[in-house]
Amino acid sequence: MSDSSGLLAKSDRALIPVENLANLLAAFAIFALMCLGVAQIVMRSVFNQPLTGYIDLVELSMASMAFLGAAYCQRLGAHIRMELFIGRLHGRSLWIAESFGVLVAMGIIGVLIYHGWGHFVRSYTLGDTTIDAEYPVWPSKLLVPIAFGIWWLRLAVQFVGSVRLAIDPTCQPVGVVLMKDVAHQAQDEIHEIMGEDDPSEGKR
Amino acid sequence: MILGIGFDNPFLVGMIALALLLGLIFLGVRVVFAAAIVGLLGLVELLGWGPAAGIVGTIPHSKSSAYALSVLPMFVFIGFLAYHAGMTSALFDAARKWIGWVPGGLAVATVFATAGFAAVSGASTATAAVFSRVAIPEMLKYGYDRRLAAGVVAAGGTLATLIPPSAIIVIYAIIVEESVGKLLLAGFLPGIVSALIYAGIIIAWATVRQGDAPSVRGFTWDERVRSLPGVLPVFVVVFIIISAIYGGWATPTEAGALGAAVVFTLAVLRGTKWTDIQGSLMEAAKLTVMIFSLIWGVLIFVRFLGFSGLPEAFTEWILSLDVEPMVIMICILLAYAILGMFMDAIGMLLLTLPVVYPAVMALGFDSIWFGIIVVKMAEVCLITPPIGLNCFVVNGVRPDIPLTDVFRGIALFFIADVLTIAALLAFPEIVTWLPNLVG
Repeated sequence: MSDSSGLLAKSDRALIPVENLANLLAAFAIFALMCLGVAQIVMRSVFNQPLTGYIDLVELSMASMAFLGAAYCQRLGAHIRMELFIGRLHGRSLWIAESFGVLVAMGIIGVLIYHGWGHFVRSYTLGDTTIDAEYPVWPSKLLVPIAFGIWWLRLAVQFVGSVRLAIDPTCQPVGVVLMKDVAHQAQDEIHEIMGEDDPSEGKR
Repeated sequence: MILGIGFDNPFLVGMIALALLLGLIFLGVRVVFAAAIVGLLGLVELLGWGPAAGIVGTIPHSKSSAYALSVLPMFVFIGFLAYHAGMTSALFDAARKWIGWVPGGLAVATVFATAGFAAVSGASTATAAVFSRVAIPEMLKYGYDRRLAAGVVAAGGTLATLIPPSAIIVIYAIIVEESVGKLLLAGFLPGIVSALIYAGIIIAWATVRQGDAPSVRGFTWDERVRSLPGVLPVFVVVFIIISAIYGGWATPTEAGALGAAVVFTLAVLRGTKWTDIQGSLMEAAKLTVMIFSLIWGVLIFVRFLGFSGLPEAFTEWILSLDVEPMVIMICILLAYAILGMFMDAIGMLLLTLPVVYPAVMALGFDSIWFGIIVVKMAEVCLITPPIGLNCFVVNGVRPDIPLTDVFRGIALFFIADVLTIAALLAFPEIVTWLPNLVG
């Protein structure tokens, strides 16, 4: 393995815990939203005392669910695409197509980081608050450049990984998403749903 | 301006952008990036870099933090938790005892048990996976044709996309700005009708070829009644979601939260491992971010479409055709059937609706009705080759049943789905009756 792939593998490994943590925070936000919803029903119907600023709180919390897991999702190749054409490519042509797709992604996410940051700075300096409970809006807006920043780093790793394989398709793949056929996607779905108990009793 | 066309001919810019979008998607660029970058480039062409980037930069945050969207993570979480709440065996057991006596009884029971599970899950592949494990062994034990056994499970899974809670119905509601609650209610009856048509087709098969699907008799009334408490949680969740929306005592998000809390409590009571619960949450977060990314990505493109005037032009063109609206509707549905073979249902709806929906409305169709029909179309694609993910899921859980057998078994249910869609086209009241009661 050359030095360049060593650095690539290192960056790949370094990003994984960050992405996992970000997605875990999103997961907690989902759990918290569940608790908040139940609390709101109980407070409103039992005690006739709805939580103040409930809708504001929900709306502010949604940025964490909407963005924090983006890089995690990217690493696992879960952002959808059409594989009709790219699924038939192999070797160099496949990795050239993958590099192109990631480059497009880096372009648009880069623009969104820059302007998402500007959006946050404006909100911070103006002291933007929500209408009802007057919570500050900037922490929620700050999540966009942060989450997209991690996402961009993951895309950069995938880009270098794809270009490396486009140059030499015989290399060991590092930092790229390997495409799965439908049968493997089905296995993933089964595993996602049933968790640790393996439904096919190890027949894979 | 990039091409130098600008506002001289926004329609031309729209057409070029649409071609670029289709090209990028065909090349395998992930839909969120393709839609967002084409939307950005289109806006730059029309408005110049500064204003375009300014508009685009605010869309992800502003569009993602709308209260109406908050129901999605709740429904997604329920979907990943439902298996761990362990109602599948109870549902199948009760259905078997109550309706096992009809011809093809176990297969019919599977249809109703999957419908019941759909009411707490909302995830099609999940339902197919879970019932491959519970219902297929039982059917094979009684000598059922394995193609039928596999087909009914793969098809039963698709009921989840109509019967609430359904994430894909919520996505339709959000993209066309229709009431989430009404659409969720609207899916309920068509889901039941789908199940009944499946059951009818199985009974017909079992009557013609009795060896393929024998009935199962000999359960006492006592046994039947005692099978009911196990399915109670299903009715609780259905009651929460339907009554909350119908009666208006909670928003869809709150009802979803309460439903999730019930399913979560059941999973904990059943001794589900913490790692599994955390796993469900991580999966829910992953799917949620995937859906939200698609939504803001497509909304960037939609913002550009608005400036280009393309949807209006398409609508005008459709209206200028001297063809019966119903013929146009059937053409649109056929186009969806073909598209759905190659693309994920959510991506397909998000990409096409911004252009197709205004035209359908201009033809005078009901928006709630169209939503349910389109969602039903999208779910049919879960069982048709070449992708037919549900069939692969059944084969994944039961590697002993070859994929060709699953696809053969599903053929019958594909006919059933065509009948269901025909019924929904002929009798729109099946869709609109329940939501119209809410007013």
